[in-house]
Amino acid sequence: MTTHVVAPRTWPLRFAASDAGAQTASVLVGLVLWQLLGMGVERIPVPSEVLSFFWEELTSGVLFAAFYNTLDGFTIGLAIALVVGIALGIAIGLSDLVRAFCNDIVLVGLAVPGVIWALLAILWYGFSWKAPVAAVALTATPFIAVNVAQGVKATSRDLIRMSRSFGVPMHKRIRHLVLPSVMDYVFAGFRFAVIMGWNAVLLAEWFGGRDGVGYQTRTFYDSNDFTGFVSWVVFFIVFIVLLDRLVLERVARRTFRWRAQPAEGGGH
Amino acid sequence: MATLTIENLTKVFPPTAKNRPPVRAITDLSLELSGHVFVSVVGPSGCGKSTLLNILSGVEPPTSGSISVTKDNRPARLGYVFQDARLLPWRTVMDNMLYVQDGQRERAREIARRYLTMVGLDEVHDSYPGQLSGGMQQRAGIARAFSVDPDLLLMDEPFSHLDAITARSLREQLQTLWEDSGKTVLFVTHDIMEAVQLSDRIVVLSHGGRIHADIAIDLPRPRKASDPEVAGVQAEILGRFESMEHDAAVA
Repeated sequence: MTTHVVAPRTWPLRFAASDAGAQTASVLVGLVLWQLLGMGVERIPVPSEVLSFFWEELTSGVLFAAFYNTLDGFTIGLAIALVVGIALGIAIGLSDLVRAFCNDIVLVGLAVPGVIWALLAILWYGFSWKAPVAAVALTATPFIAVNVAQGVKATSRDLIRMSRSFGVPMHKRIRHLVLPSVMDYVFAGFRFAVIMGWNAVLLAEWFGGRDGVGYQTRTFYDSNDFTGFVSWVVFFIVFIVLLDRLVLERVARRTFRWRAQPAEGGGH
Repeated sequence: MATLTIENLTKVFPPTAKNRPPVRAITDLSLELSGHVFVSVVGPSGCGKSTLLNILSGVEPPTSGSISVTKDNRPARLGYVFQDARLLPWRTVMDNMLYVQDGQRERAREIARRYLTMVGLDEVHDSYPGQLSGGMQQRAGIARAFSVDPDLLLMDEPFSHLDAITARSLREQLQTLWEDSGKTVLFVTHDIMEAVQLSDRIVVLSHGGRIHADIAIDLPRPRKASDPEVAGVQAEILGRFESMEHDAAVA
């Protein structure tokens, strides 16, 4: 009989064969391509220039102040979208009458691009802090509402029947049955809403802001400063990727931890 | 302990497609049970057994007839055990117990703990349903039903999805729980042996939800499936069942 001894893989090999390894490789390839492109085209700054610009903006305090101002409106708008979107989605999912009433309104909400909401918000609120908040809330709410409504429709009929049989009151059913069962849909809608809302808040700041990431980007665009413009675009792209990977994915893992529990030992 | 009175109950479902007749699930069914009794309803598939329980629990409205479930002249509280456990997968076993209970949380927790101990699940009260075997989940479902202190317990083929050994063990546990609790139980099954082992009375339904026979089971408890008396009564009821099926086929 031949015995095969499999040598344990060392750390670099294990990392190279993992998802994290593939993701790191994709970032590195992107950076190399960017560097090559920047070396060939005059109007594209290379990564090292962006990095040095990043350091300048960071140490001068401009970067922090801009993100702080943008996140202020973005967070409030997203919170409004989350509360209104979930409430609206549950109402649409539970009631045929509400669904019939809201169907076209939500469809219009989905069809209006973020840039239009941003422009409308500036027309309504001018340079006020309310403009980015309104732009984010109006852009993100329909995405959350549609997803949650789908989730409510997909709630297990058996569990609803069980709850009715035991006379579980409606407020308890919504909190402990409907809401947890739509969390998958809330997260799917929320991740999309974050990206759409981020676009909307930057556009609102671009067109009508006096500070924030969108305003900074526009300032460098207007002054024909390519390094500054591209750097700020890179900052907000990196920010949204990090937000998705470091915050949203972790929150999702925590929310759905019941799925990852190992099975108990046997037993009847 | 409750009194269940069903008078002239009929349930007709609308046609499922054009040019199809309405489906008559229950026809003019009258039944009364009261006190510490265990009554089983048996019958072939589609004879209206589960529909009867759905109507009793308020999930399905009757077409005609009347139902009253009372205890001391007030509406009785119902408990329900389903074919599958129907536990909320994102809540622990203990939180599933608390979900169906009202009243003060500490008191509810104490009651839940007592019934989980009775069915041997106290050790896993903080586990999620997905971590438990099918039999353990069903035991949690039974504990949940008893924990609401129901006057009438409705059970819809609760062991039909389990393997034979697990089902046998749970039947024995159910007998003990029922004897200790003094509840009124209406138990639906297609398994005649199971009905004979557990029941004081067996109501045999025919197609269309008519009562074909109402048989008292006067055997000492606890009963085991291997007892010769249980096997004898099972054979007798099976004979009636076969003649009913034969008559239906001829008709």
